[in-house]
Amino acid sequence: MTAPLDTEPAAATAAAGPAMERSAHRGVLRYALTKLGGALLSIGMVIVATFFLFRLIPGDPAIAYTRDVPLSPDQLDLLRRQMGLDKPLMQQFLDFVLRTLRLDFGTSYEYRRPVLDLIGERLGPTLVLVGTGLVISVSLGLWQGTRAAWKHGSRFDRMSTGVSLVLWSVPTFWLGLLLLMVFAAGIGPIPGIFPTRGMEGVDAPDGLAYIPHVAMHLVLPCLTLVAVVYAQYLLVMRSSLLDEIGQDYVTTARAKGLRDDQVRRRHAVPNALLPTITLVFINIGFVVGGAVSVETVYSWPGLGLLFYEAIKGPDFAVMQGTFIVVCTAVIIMNTLADVAYRVLDPRVRSA
Amino acid sequence: MTRLGGRLAALGVALVMATLPAAQGQAQTQATRAQTVQQKAPAAGKKIVRIGATQAVDSMSPFLAVRLVSSSVHRWIYSYLTVPDPKTLEPSPELAESWETSDDKLTWTFKIRDTKWSDGQPVTAQDVAWTFNTIMTNDAAKQGNGPAVENFESVTATDDRTLVIKTKKPQASMLDNPIPIVPKHVWEKAGDPGQFQNDQYPIVGSGPFIAVEHKKDAYVRLEANPNYWRGKPKIDELDVVFYENPEAAITGLKKGDIDLIGRLDAPQYEALKGDPNIVQWNGNGRRAAYLQINHGATTIDDKPVGDGHPALKDPKVRQAIHYAIDKQALVDQVQNGLAVPADGSIIPPMYKDFFWQAEGDEKVTFDVAKANQILDDAGYKKGSDGVRTMPDGKRKLEMRFSIHTDVPVEEKLAQYLTGWFKQIGITLTTRKLDSTKFTEETGFTGLFDIAISGWSVNPDPEEILATHLCSRRPTASGDGGGTESFYCNPDYEKLYQEQLSELDRAKRAEVIKKMEKQLYTDAPVIALYYQNDLEGYRKDRISNITPMPEDKGLFYGASGHWPIYSLDAPAPAAAGSAGDGGSSTGPIIGGVVAVVVIGALGFFLARRRRSVTDDRE
Repeated sequence: MTAPLDTEPAAATAAAGPAMERSAHRGVLRYALTKLGGALLSIGMVIVATFFLFRLIPGDPAIAYTRDVPLSPDQLDLLRRQMGLDKPLMQQFLDFVLRTLRLDFGTSYEYRRPVLDLIGERLGPTLVLVGTGLVISVSLGLWQGTRAAWKHGSRFDRMSTGVSLVLWSVPTFWLGLLLLMVFAAGIGPIPGIFPTRGMEGVDAPDGLAYIPHVAMHLVLPCLTLVAVVYAQYLLVMRSSLLDEIGQDYVTTARAKGLRDDQVRRRHAVPNALLPTITLVFINIGFVVGGAVSVETVYSWPGLGLLFYEAIKGPDFAVMQGTFIVVCTAVIIMNTLADVAYRVLDPRVRSA
Repeated sequence: MTRLGGRLAALGVALVMATLPAAQGQAQTQATRAQTVQQKAPAAGKKIVRIGATQAVDSMSPFLAVRLVSSSVHRWIYSYLTVPDPKTLEPSPELAESWETSDDKLTWTFKIRDTKWSDGQPVTAQDVAWTFNTIMTNDAAKQGNGPAVENFESVTATDDRTLVIKTKKPQASMLDNPIPIVPKHVWEKAGDPGQFQNDQYPIVGSGPFIAVEHKKDAYVRLEANPNYWRGKPKIDELDVVFYENPEAAITGLKKGDIDLIGRLDAPQYEALKGDPNIVQWNGNGRRAAYLQINHGATTIDDKPVGDGHPALKDPKVRQAIHYAIDKQALVDQVQNGLAVPADGSIIPPMYKDFFWQAEGDEKVTFDVAKANQILDDAGYKKGSDGVRTMPDGKRKLEMRFSIHTDVPVEEKLAQYLTGWFKQIGITLTTRKLDSTKFTEETGFTGLFDIAISGWSVNPDPEEILATHLCSRRPTASGDGGGTESFYCNPDYEKLYQEQLSELDRAKRAEVIKKMEKQLYTDAPVIALYYQNDLEGYRKDRISNITPMPEDKGLFYGASGHWPIYSLDAPAPAAAGSAGDGGSSTGPIIGGVVAVVVIGALGFFLARRRRSVTDDRE
């Protein structure tokens, strides 16, 4: 397509915010704009799909929402009017699209507050939990994956791959409860030093002491999350590094007399990192969605818990809102991954 | 490597920059909504009790909140016109000191108590009138307690101490009004009551406690109200702590993070066994579990709806089914013995005044032979496969049993019923439905034969009695007002109106018992058992708590503030140090963990270096 350009590191920053780009790197810009267009199209489709997807759920929301509460038909009508369910479907759809484009996700049936406010409140705790979890699991996965591949077939390889796969197959909910029982309640000689719920206790201290207080609450949920997800980074890193080990350039590097450590760090790992970066980016998107099971077990007040409660409600406005936000985050991160990939790997540019 | 590293770093910076504004905006909104009014005082010397709740408070506004936990919190921070007496559950004075009714039973005059709001302002009849009128006139404010004012014609305060309520029709259930009274002087200034979230702390109320802080999806902190007219509560602080996960809440109770938890199911209750510090509470419950039978569902204009099995229209078949249910076995096997078999109808025995149970010949006991006899006599012949057919021979007695997905108790119940029904020649197949679909099919479209159902009954049973009225059936378009049985019987309707206009409690109870008896014999619903109220509390942290009703009643799930108001905790020093221990050791442990993590990292790095050296060729 376009000729390979000598991209400076700064271009990576520019690619993240293409609108502000003023440099002459047309190729990158054009590529980024194409990707941006694709992303916008996907987001548009998500909005349309969301509307109809949530209309497919059987049952009348007004009735579902008021079950066990005896209401007269008048009151049900009133509720339907408040929910906007009395209008024709096309009208509802247009209203929905226009409001969504204005970032107005409607009002929660259950909380009687704008959905965007609810999502905003939950975003912080989710970023803390899943963000920390992601950093730890990526570091752990990459480190173990690299080591396992480099010493392919060693005891470390078998152990780390085996353990991570076992943890990967464990149901999150179950593992969370188990850790909760052992390390929060305490069994036998193990003292229950960690809290049983939430991000902070009723007696949360103010000021600096607040940080270790939250950190204590973070340990178990984060541990659960890391244990369950780090295997994917390990396996991707391991397999892509294994691919690289057999390559000629690695042999060449060795032949040059480089130390084993240098061959690994300077030659093999940078090339093997690329698939992993895609995976990391996609997962950053999912970070926004929170971890539903973990947040549920530990009553962590994040987006995942909000979504779970909305399903229990059922609170359609909240479900739609969180769904769109999470999908959009994933799409944006995918687009960024595409652009980043191009910046990081010259081969993609010439392809 | 350095180039790649540089690019990665630049990318990382860009990402952080992109997410930062969002994070900042988030911090700001949280700061502006910060609801902590007072700085958190050290817990030392305070009697604190923490209650675990497996529901988060949806709104602190009594006009908007619909969740049970919110109505519990409102019960503790607001007062009502009247409250059920803690011993007899009869209506007793609260903000209304006394009341009288006109001869036509349409006008109620309440004398309002001379007491104070928690901010020192006097409580007047204007406050009560404003509260009721707001719900009557503001549609958005109907969310919480709309049905409670449906029959109100007008509410006026004739002076500071006198409130007059005029109703459209007589309403004997007036004294069980569930609406918390809010202070007019606060709410008037707060904008639209249909929008106001009541998040200005401390919340002005007139109940035994004052809400001083609410951290969304985490906890609500209440402090004792020194101005409460019955006297200040014995504890200083009451925290309602939210657990999404009941198992985590059980762990929290065992560990001492919380002191009391209610609304347990049987396995959760059993999980508390053997802990020397925990009292397992097995009290009388408010709930009745029953089978709903599609005896020919009709819409509000008497048009048939749904696809119920025609045999169920025959009262004899319904009666045979009733005889084929071993309620005691269900209690023992399905409910772990933590329920009472139902020999009555939809009102549980906890409500002594209104409870009715069958005696003598009327009483239906488990008797498969008799059930078979009834069906044989009615002409439902057994085929060679053991399944009966309709008297006209056209259709087999093959029926569906609708239950909810993911409710193990209901699945177990279905197994037992299937077994017994097989013995009387009825094939039962289980249909699992998600709750939305379930509500739709069993309450509106009538697409069921037999379904599981249940209801929590209030001290005044009017609400549950009304669920079997003709007017509660759905309209032709599928709308409607929540019938529990598609029942429509003129005798029942007449009795319902009669009890509603009978203001003498004893006479009214007689009428209500007749209604229960009719439901029992006509069997549009068959009561199975009344679940016990299962709770647990720590006896080292709670030195006194009185259930409601006082004889084997409820704590958390009670329909009044009494049990929580009666709470007492051991000497403050113990409670204080226990509460304090967590907060002061927290940072220390946090520090230790940090040190361990850093140490471990250092160790790994060192090892890595060494292994690198080993790897050298």
